[in-house]
Amino acid sequence: MNNALSLAWRLFKHEAKRGELTIILFAIVLSVASVLSLSLFSERLQSALTAKSADFIAADRLLDSNKPVDQAWIDRAIEEGLETTRQVYARSMVFGNEDMTLTSLRAADQGYPLKGTLKTSETPFGLGEETNYLPNKGEAWAESRLFQTLGIKIGDKIEVGDAEFILTRVITEVPDAGFSVFGGNPKVLINYSELESTNITGPGSRITYTYFFAGDKSDLEDYYDWLKPQLDREIHDWDSVEDDSSPIGRSVGRAEQYFLLASLLAIVLAAVSIAVAAQRYSQRHYDPVAIMKTLGASRKLVQRVYLYQISFITFFGIVLGTAAGLAIQQVVVSAIADTVDVSLDVWHWRPLIIAVFTGVTCAVLFSLYPLLKLFSVPPLRVLRRDLGAGMSSRIIQFGAMGSAILLLMWAYSQNIKISLILFVSGIALVCALLVVTFALIWVGRKLGQGKMGAWQLAWARIKRRAMDNSVQLISFSITIMLLLVVLVMRNDMVSQWRDQLPQGTPNYFLTNITQDKKDNLVEHFSASDVQPDGFYPVVRARFEAINDEKIRTAVSKEDENAQNRGRNGLGREANLTWTDVLAKGNKIVEGQWLDKWQPGDPYGVSIEERIAERLDIKMGDTLTFNIGSEVVDVEVTSVREVNWQTMQPNFFFVLQPQAMKEFTPTYITSFHLPTEQKSQVTELMRPFASVTLIDVDARINQVRDVVDQVSLAVEFILILVLVAGSLVLIAQVQASMDERQQELAILRTLGAKGGLIRASVVFEFLIIGVVAGGMAAVANELTLYLLQSQVFQMEGKMHWEYWLLAPTVGAVVVGLLGAAGCWRLLTLNTSQLLRKMV
Amino acid sequence: MTTTPKVMIETKDITKIVSTSEGELQILQPISFNVKAGESVAIVGASGSGKSTLLSLLAGLDQVSEGEILLDGAGLHSMDEEQRARLRGEKVGFIFQSFMLVQSLTAIENIMLPAEIAGLENAKQLGQEILEQVGLGHRGNHYPNQLSGGEQQRVAIARAFITKPKILFADEPTGNLDSANSEKVEKLLFDLNRDSDTTLVLVTHDPELASQCQRQLHMHAGELTEVFTESDDVSESQKQVG
Repeated sequence: MNNALSLAWRLFKHEAKRGELTIILFAIVLSVASVLSLSLFSERLQSALTAKSADFIAADRLLDSNKPVDQAWIDRAIEEGLETTRQVYARSMVFGNEDMTLTSLRAADQGYPLKGTLKTSETPFGLGEETNYLPNKGEAWAESRLFQTLGIKIGDKIEVGDAEFILTRVITEVPDAGFSVFGGNPKVLINYSELESTNITGPGSRITYTYFFAGDKSDLEDYYDWLKPQLDREIHDWDSVEDDSSPIGRSVGRAEQYFLLASLLAIVLAAVSIAVAAQRYSQRHYDPVAIMKTLGASRKLVQRVYLYQISFITFFGIVLGTAAGLAIQQVVVSAIADTVDVSLDVWHWRPLIIAVFTGVTCAVLFSLYPLLKLFSVPPLRVLRRDLGAGMSSRIIQFGAMGSAILLLMWAYSQNIKISLILFVSGIALVCALLVVTFALIWVGRKLGQGKMGAWQLAWARIKRRAMDNSVQLISFSITIMLLLVVLVMRNDMVSQWRDQLPQGTPNYFLTNITQDKKDNLVEHFSASDVQPDGFYPVVRARFEAINDEKIRTAVSKEDENAQNRGRNGLGREANLTWTDVLAKGNKIVEGQWLDKWQPGDPYGVSIEERIAERLDIKMGDTLTFNIGSEVVDVEVTSVREVNWQTMQPNFFFVLQPQAMKEFTPTYITSFHLPTEQKSQVTELMRPFASVTLIDVDARINQVRDVVDQVSLAVEFILILVLVAGSLVLIAQVQASMDERQQELAILRTLGAKGGLIRASVVFEFLIIGVVAGGMAAVANELTLYLLQSQVFQMEGKMHWEYWLLAPTVGAVVVGLLGAAGCWRLLTLNTSQLLRKMV
Repeated sequence: MTTTPKVMIETKDITKIVSTSEGELQILQPISFNVKAGESVAIVGASGSGKSTLLSLLAGLDQVSEGEILLDGAGLHSMDEEQRARLRGEKVGFIFQSFMLVQSLTAIENIMLPAEIAGLENAKQLGQEILEQVGLGHRGNHYPNQLSGGEQQRVAIARAFITKPKILFADEPTGNLDSANSEKVEKLLFDLNRDSDTTLVLVTHDPELASQCQRQLHMHAGELTEVFTESDDVSESQKQVG
């Protein structure tokens, strides 16, 4: 026992000193460092982003209910150490200045908002400032729009239900405002204690009680576990930041999946590099094992010696890897500290556990088969050097490695879908590569003949070593594929984010523009160098029936769900527009667009996909709208998918222009005004008192801010993976270079010129690089398609440019690395080279 | 009164048959011979004659297809790999043409290796002593690739003798060395062999080296014949073994 330990330690010490363990030690260090830094960074980033996105729901978790919840539920939350507050939402008519309008009334309790900030100003359309208190008794705050609509000012009175309030401030931003441009009606905020006096919460009123919770994730989870069995799905709705379907929620959600993907790929990279290194390690130890066995060592002793040695390597690999991972992470966090608020104080144990677990699992599982092979080396090898290990089933080896990788990915991600996608793509790649390997043998046989030039030497070597090279080819291809997946995924994702809000995105919307004001407005705006976008005609209508069947329930359900942001436009009242030009961000998923209409056809309507699904509206159904005293029947001729993330007017119903020619619309338009010109807005709007101005600048900036931070974070993750992947590639080339040493020595001894040897090695690596790159591009396409369509909910597309780029880059990088490795060997003279082989 | 030395290696009709893609190939014809304790025997013959195969069978590195081998009375033919390894550790030393030193261990550590495997407590001390004997006391901390071929083989000889084996097998011990180094190594090998009263079986195609052994066995196409020198009291010049 002690013999084995001391022998193992001595072997470890000397081999480490002589650089013989560099490759396997480096593989473990690399895997632990990359998994640790990636997952620690992404975990910290996720916390930062989750905290940030919590601002957009004003809490970490929300509980919506259409009636007040049991006080015991709130008490329990406080016992769990959570912060709580509540708010009541109602649609209510507000009277003022002898006029009235429908508003979105909020009665907020002390502590609101738990997350994010409430901003108010002293005048309508003024710059908002952070406000840490709520309206006092008898006071109300309202959005600029209400002042405009009712023609009132600060200090005026408004009536809400039975109560009267004095307007004391203007709301410029509430954290949980939602992202719909036409977020319904202007908001009015009063103190929760005043709600009762308004008498608007009586029977039949449509009210949502929202309870806000904030606190530690584990406390929140404990609380939800306790609360869940008591929730009634008909009445209650539990929401978290992760459920947020706003642009912010989606961006953050997607980024989190990206981080997960990147970390998973880091694990696979680690596994691949350790597998390659372990194989190399095992082969290098055939002789020592044969010698030990010849000198009388039992199989058990040999096993102990090498198991100890692998343990030492794993231990030191993990220690060094952890140190390196922490250092890398620290560097990255400080590099982006100015842009992303990632706290270094928060320590997450999970990444460390994952990293150590990955290091140990990879080291054990991937060295298991090579070690078993090593243990089976016969002592007779001391006399017959051609004898290797007895076991040679690659299928078992690949099967064991594949299962280990799948298990690791699954254990880490807890997401079988994403793990299976990567795994299946990997398997497809491996199978394809085995076929390619045979093809290479065949090509090698054809091209490796004739006069021995560098090209022939390269092909002859590829042919001869094809099966040995298959592992190397697979590892190159997987590495390149993983790098491609991370790179292309990042490009697609970031460009999609950027497209969502390009520079110059309208930050103001105008509604209620009457026909006679429209031209004046364009002229007036042009004089101030402001260019409004297109004008959408709008008519308010009452949605009456589907196929003559009244739709009471569906509409009331919509009304109740005041939190259903993005669809707030509906309700019993609907905004109808008409055009035969399909708007950007709209896609026909069924039927034909309205421009296909022919005179004599019934008038058509195009309906948004999700509302069609919810109201169970099918193609060909007749919808009845009541506009003033007129009734309009239209037939559903198409269903549209609408990208609600674009900040532009989107409509549930788009009608055939001819159906609406009798009606006088008002118009909606939008324009962009740089933030520094914000003060001009009041001046700009002065002649158009009846036109309603909606300011979405704050929302756009919030979204852009988060998207920028997330993009930057994704960028850094990409760089980390690229660096890790490149190092793995270098290690792989290095490992394979050692295997070529013997041949180089013989060629050198036989008098081959350095140039010929170098060219042949470079050719060989070029060929391997081209094949690996090409196969990686194909596998990348498959993986991306599956990931984008199944996990990221993005539209998949082909990436033809990478079909050319990957083989080229593969050839250049692998070729250059090969040339570099070869150059190092060729700087040695023949006798040094021969001695190195011994 | 003289005592007859005991038989250290005893072989009875051993054969070796291997499977090849073209069918079975008999590498060794039935061979029977004995080697007495303390005797030095050279197995000579051309390349591919089967002498290394015979050596591998005698040393228990490989298994016979048929026949029996007794090493110091222990039946190798009926042992499994583990038992043979134990026997090698206890009674056998080796010297190879390509030295077969563990590259990642220093000279002294290579020498200590069999002693450590055998579980000897004073491996280091024994190693140092024998390293001095082979004249490499100052090179103990050098790695094999820092030593010349002759020096490496001296380390291998030291390693072979550290456990004081009863039998020493040497496979072309001077095959990789120049004549000057060959002489040194030969001298060292025979001196240590004599001093330790070890039974030596060496395989070589070098007649000079073979002639220093007490007996020579000639291998040809898998058959073994004993070569008698002029001093031997026999009428025939050669006698079939087995």
